[in-house]
Amino acid sequence: MESVVYLDNAATTAVDERVVKKMLPYFSEKYANPATKWTSSLSKEVDFAVEEARMSVAKIINSEVDEIYFTSGGTEADNTALKGIAFSNMNRGNEIISTPIEHEAVLKSLYALEKFGFEIKFARVDSKGFVDPMEIVKMITQKTILISVMHANNEIGTIEPIREIGMICRERNIYFHTDAVQTVGHLKINVKNDYIDLLSLSGHKFYGPKGIGAIFVRNGVKIQSFMDGGGQEKGVRSGTLNTTGIVGLGEAARIAFEEMEETEEKIKNIRNKLWERIQNEIPKVYLNGPDGETRIANNLSFNIIGIRNEPLLVALNERGIIAGGGSACSAEGKNPSHVLESIGVRKDDIFSVIRISLGKYNKETEIDTIVYNFKEVVKQLREMSPFWTE
Amino acid sequence: MYPKIVMEHFLHPKNVGKIENPTSTGSFTSISGGKAVFYLNIENSIAKDVKYQVAGCPFAIAVCSIISEYALGKSISELKEISKHFLSAYFDFTDEQEECINLALLAFLESIKDF
Repeated sequence: MESVVYLDNAATTAVDERVVKKMLPYFSEKYANPATKWTSSLSKEVDFAVEEARMSVAKIINSEVDEIYFTSGGTEADNTALKGIAFSNMNRGNEIISTPIEHEAVLKSLYALEKFGFEIKFARVDSKGFVDPMEIVKMITQKTILISVMHANNEIGTIEPIREIGMICRERNIYFHTDAVQTVGHLKINVKNDYIDLLSLSGHKFYGPKGIGAIFVRNGVKIQSFMDGGGQEKGVRSGTLNTTGIVGLGEAARIAFEEMEETEEKIKNIRNKLWERIQNEIPKVYLNGPDGETRIANNLSFNIIGIRNEPLLVALNERGIIAGGGSACSAEGKNPSHVLESIGVRKDDIFSVIRISLGKYNKETEIDTIVYNFKEVVKQLREMSPFWTE
Repeated sequence: MYPKIVMEHFLHPKNVGKIENPTSTGSFTSISGGKAVFYLNIENSIAKDVKYQVAGCPFAIAVCSIISEYALGKSISELKEISKHFLSAYFDFTDEQEECINLALLAFLESIKDF
């Protein structure tokens, strides 16, 4: 999409051309099913590539290779972690603690577990989206079997104190899951140092293909399978392996491991410069979420007083700029963002929130175009708004 | 994404603004906090001037513009014919999009209710 300025990388990223190149042979040349590797040399070759990809994914989070299980993406990984742990540990307890700003894949999984008699408790978050580990400690009881806290929030960029929470869990023999969909490939993750028992990741958030992800399950963690069938992935996740996706995921992980630090520094630099321009040139815009190093490098979420986000986004789209919004009033369901609600943004203001999430293909030279068009459209919308006075 | 006529009116809305000392005004605020306000100058039962302010989605903005363009120079009895049915002649819309359309429509109908 070279003709557009793409600012919605938290929704999805473009696949790195090196990833595409790595995947291509696995469509029509190396297409065998790795499950038959004992009788087919073609399958064995594909199996080798799958295991190579698994090693790359393990490396990027510092896990053991056999602790990585491929899934169809982050949503499936979240479902597997939460439901898999809940059902296989029912004899120990039925309580799960999480936060109200988790991705819907976590929240809806938890609500589904409630129907089976699990008790779900939510630790509050503050106005920047941070959960206090000590608040979690106070909520733990003898019945707590799992705590799930996302590594970083997709809407407001808050990086949670997962190491402290992991330590709390490990000391108390409680499983700790983190949805790291927004951070794998962007932030250094060390599942060993951070006491993580389960972790969800998704390929299309770090320049890999859509429809592939993985769950990390620490060896020794008792988990029930979510997908039953042919017994692939040691029975944890049955189903013929998406070998092209897996190879792509592996390559994306390999590239991220090598280039992450430099890439994220560049993105952060652009993000900071962009925010400085927006703040200086558009009056009454307010950041949601934290400042500084506790915010993921690519994220800007801000309120534009006096206008609604949907017309801004549509008008920007016409000008070749694609960004994201807190809640679009005509989006499916019309529910305001639960994340923004949880950090105390007023309901009416939620529909004025814009999210910009940069990626490695954004350039500093785009800042002028972004700011110019934002200013023009905001001015037009404010001029017609009954909520705006100069 | 949106019907062509909706995009045209959204990107180039007609008759945006306020009227000082209008003959009548009407406003509507939606559940999600969007708002439209219509200002009318009526002389001899004819809409001589129609302006509006709106904070809403592209449909709401477009409908304000479409209504204002139609309403200018029309009689009260013609204005009272403006409805969802009237708008459906301009473009198709789903049930979900009705809330956006209602934002504009109900604000306008409020402005002519006393005539």
